[in-house]
Amino acid sequence: MITMNGKKMQFSNISTDINLDNLENQDSLDVIVNMGPQHPSTHGVFRLVLWIDGEIITKAEPHIGYLHRGSEKLCESELYSQVISLFDRIDYLANLNMELGFCAAVEKLMEIDIPDRAWYIRTILCELNRIASHLLFYGVFGLDAGAMTPVLYGFRDREKIQSVFESVTGARMMHNFIRIGGLKEDVGNDFKKDVTKLLSTLKTSIDECDELLSGNEVFLARTKGIGTIERQTALDYGLSGPTLRGSGIPEDIRISDPYGIYDRFDFKIPVGTVGDSWDRYYVRVEEMRQSISIIEQALAQMDEGPILGNVRRLIKPPKGEVYTRTETPRGDFGVFLVSDGSDKPYRVKVRAPSFSNLLALTKMLENSYVADSVVILGSLDIVMGEVDR
Amino acid sequence: MIKLIKGLIITLSTALRSPVTGEYPMPEKRIPVKNKFMGFPALTYDFEIDEPFCTGCMVCIRNCPTSCMSANMKDNEKFTENKSSRKKIIDTFEINLGRCILCGICVDVCNFDAIEMSHEHERSKFERNANRVNLPELIKMGVKYQQKINWSPKQEKNRGTPKKPKTSNENNGNLT
Amino acid sequence: MIVEIFNNFPYIFRPSLLLLFLTITVLFLTWLERKTLAKIQMRMGPMFVGFHGTLQPIADAIKLALKEDILPLWSNKQIYWFAPIAVFVPAFLIWVTLPISNVFVVRNLELGLFYIVSISVLSVLGMVLAGWSSANKYAFLGGVRAAGQLISYEIPFIMAILSIAMISKSLNLITIVENQSSFPNILVQPIGALIFFLSGLAEIGRTPFDIHHAESEVAGGPFIEYSGAHWSVFFLAEYINTFTVAALVVLLYFGGWNWPTMPFEGNTHSFLSALWFLFKCYLVVLLIFWIRGTSPRLRIDQLMSFCWKLLAPLSFANIIVTGFILYYKLPWVILSVSSILLLIVALYFIRKKTNTSPQKTIKLYSANELRAAGKNNSGLETNND
Repeated sequence: MITMNGKKMQFSNISTDINLDNLENQDSLDVIVNMGPQHPSTHGVFRLVLWIDGEIITKAEPHIGYLHRGSEKLCESELYSQVISLFDRIDYLANLNMELGFCAAVEKLMEIDIPDRAWYIRTILCELNRIASHLLFYGVFGLDAGAMTPVLYGFRDREKIQSVFESVTGARMMHNFIRIGGLKEDVGNDFKKDVTKLLSTLKTSIDECDELLSGNEVFLARTKGIGTIERQTALDYGLSGPTLRGSGIPEDIRISDPYGIYDRFDFKIPVGTVGDSWDRYYVRVEEMRQSISIIEQALAQMDEGPILGNVRRLIKPPKGEVYTRTETPRGDFGVFLVSDGSDKPYRVKVRAPSFSNLLALTKMLENSYVADSVVILGSLDIVMGEVDR
Repeated sequence: MIKLIKGLIITLSTALRSPVTGEYPMPEKRIPVKNKFMGFPALTYDFEIDEPFCTGCMVCIRNCPTSCMSANMKDNEKFTENKSSRKKIIDTFEINLGRCILCGICVDVCNFDAIEMSHEHERSKFERNANRVNLPELIKMGVKYQQKINWSPKQEKNRGTPKKPKTSNENNGNLT
Repeated sequence: MIVEIFNNFPYIFRPSLLLLFLTITVLFLTWLERKTLAKIQMRMGPMFVGFHGTLQPIADAIKLALKEDILPLWSNKQIYWFAPIAVFVPAFLIWVTLPISNVFVVRNLELGLFYIVSISVLSVLGMVLAGWSSANKYAFLGGVRAAGQLISYEIPFIMAILSIAMISKSLNLITIVENQSSFPNILVQPIGALIFFLSGLAEIGRTPFDIHHAESEVAGGPFIEYSGAHWSVFFLAEYINTFTVAALVVLLYFGGWNWPTMPFEGNTHSFLSALWFLFKCYLVVLLIFWIRGTSPRLRIDQLMSFCWKLLAPLSFANIIVTGFILYYKLPWVILSVSSILLLIVALYFIRKKTNTSPQKTIKLYSANELRAAGKNNSGLETNND
């Protein structure tokens, strides 16, 4: 027994983990560290239990559920028009993409024809939201790696996008703008001008952000070869979105299972080759540029016209069930909707990309450093609101 | 090393630009909200008749996702005096702004242009249930909003100016 | 006038003057750091208290002094309270011999550099004690990291100092500065200056070497459980150390308070030299803040390999080369040329280690091609090669 001044060594709560009396009989001398739910870099309320041997992680165990709000169950007691405002809050960084996911499901079930203009505006807003979400990822990833300026650059540009949202939808985050059958209201006259101006500033500032962090030697050393996930493993874990594309699989719902008007645009899909944190990071940076090109094409093709299809105010889909997939910034967002013919959904199941992506974390963390765990978690770009729902 | 120096140059170049932030609590230095901004809901006021637009039809209350509103209606005295076209008028109205999620559904469903998302958003309170507002407060918020953006009802029929007593039936028939 | 007052000041009370000077410096540095980072990040920084937030540090100090001191339940009380002192005292003691100008010095020691080196090692003790006694695993991890990092970087730090001592043939800081009156040491020791600056950054735990209180990993490291006045003592020490490193860089490599020409004589000259010296120090401090606003942080193993595989061998090589040239009394030009050669070797190794083109691993697939491929094969597994 290690003693100090005759007392048992008062060595913090570590002594509760390791029995100092018989060190030989212990299975492992690893220290258990609770990372989260209150930790600056767990991206919300996420708890990661790490068994660490010095600075090396021997085992990791994620615990989720701290942000469970029962969104899916809550949907069953709300009208279809009210559910949209709940979907806003599932992934609170890509609200419009979430709204689109639900509306697309109801529209598929009701077989509504959506006017072209509504789809163009939806596409523009969703792609802008994708850029905003990736910009936040860029900043937070930089913060995880220890750089403190990228996060403010990311926010600076995200703020510009949000102010466009504010002038279009009236809200900066919880828009409730996309409605079943179209949009809440038409955009203003200076929408085109605003977005064009926004895009031109975004182009330069994304390049600036890229230049600041991407090439930095320290950043490269921190991300290259960290948290590598092989192609087959990525498929086995059911990853999606940029996380999957980083592992070298050119899979994008916007192309493989196109919804809306995405088949009218020509853009490029950035795909990584190694599958490490760097690839996942740079795929997102490149995606921002591709989103800008999509928005430019959409602005050029956009025409005047109605913005709401032929829907009644009280939405009552026919009896049946439907599953739709949309590509959100975090990946394949699926909505499974069961309707019993009433004005409230019978069951809504959300297939959240963050949740599936988070499953691969345990595998990636094996034998990595404590400092890397933060980078790996950051490179998955999870949103806890979506994981726990 | 080269890229690190490039990064240093970028940070230096941004340091020489003017800041993009505003100073929040100062009214003249903060970044203003856009015209379409959705703050807390407020009731609009009809200055021509000197009464609120709201007739207390309860449609917003039934459509509110969080059930944060409650209202009562009463017979409109001004209608009997033929000063207004509203038969019923709102008597009490209460919104628990602590529960309000600013979704804007109440504005969408309102047939009378009586409720609007005002620009009011700084209403923090220390107690959980302290952020309840009643009818006079809601109208105060609404009037502030109306004056700020020079508001007028979207549908002309919602103006409360009484119809000419003789031809009122014909007019009503045309409108509906 | 100020010089005369200082000269007539009794020796026994000079440390109090020093404490005053350092406190004011630290208060100014906290404001300067916040403003610099705000500028870099296109923010405004503190704006409300005083003109452009100049009084903000005082407001912060009052707030910290009034805050409750929290003692964690499991902590070792005596060590927990002792640790901030163990960090602060060495940081303060270094300044006993650091001259601000040839007259503004508390006690000019003949073995000044030796004294500084021996005192600066002590600060690691406080970090480890703080981490150990806080009864927090993050604090402990941070303390262990601090121990490893600070002790490792002592080696290149001391070796760089040693080469200056060899050139100046003195350990007295005033003599070292006066030896640089014709040219500053940076011209003959660029590699030494780089090693000294980098290891100095690591010694004070600044980005990119701030792993022991990395917010995103160990959430503040050894200071995680401290609050109020004790926490502020840690930060007082950290800012004093930052200023110390800047002052040492200026004293050892950038010619201290030497003016290019001497416009004044006597006391006026001494006073102006002190201002010139402080100006140089603040330039170095700004560089430190600038790097903090730009760079991410290294991982602990990369940090260690950077020290032991690059900085330590280079500093030894620098000592050998310098000694060789000094022994054979070769001209200064050869020393500076050889030092520049070493610098190039260092930069080459850094570049070779980190030379990875960023975009190489990303391929761009055209959407139209993917659509065509998808139509032909109608499957993901078959067309992803």
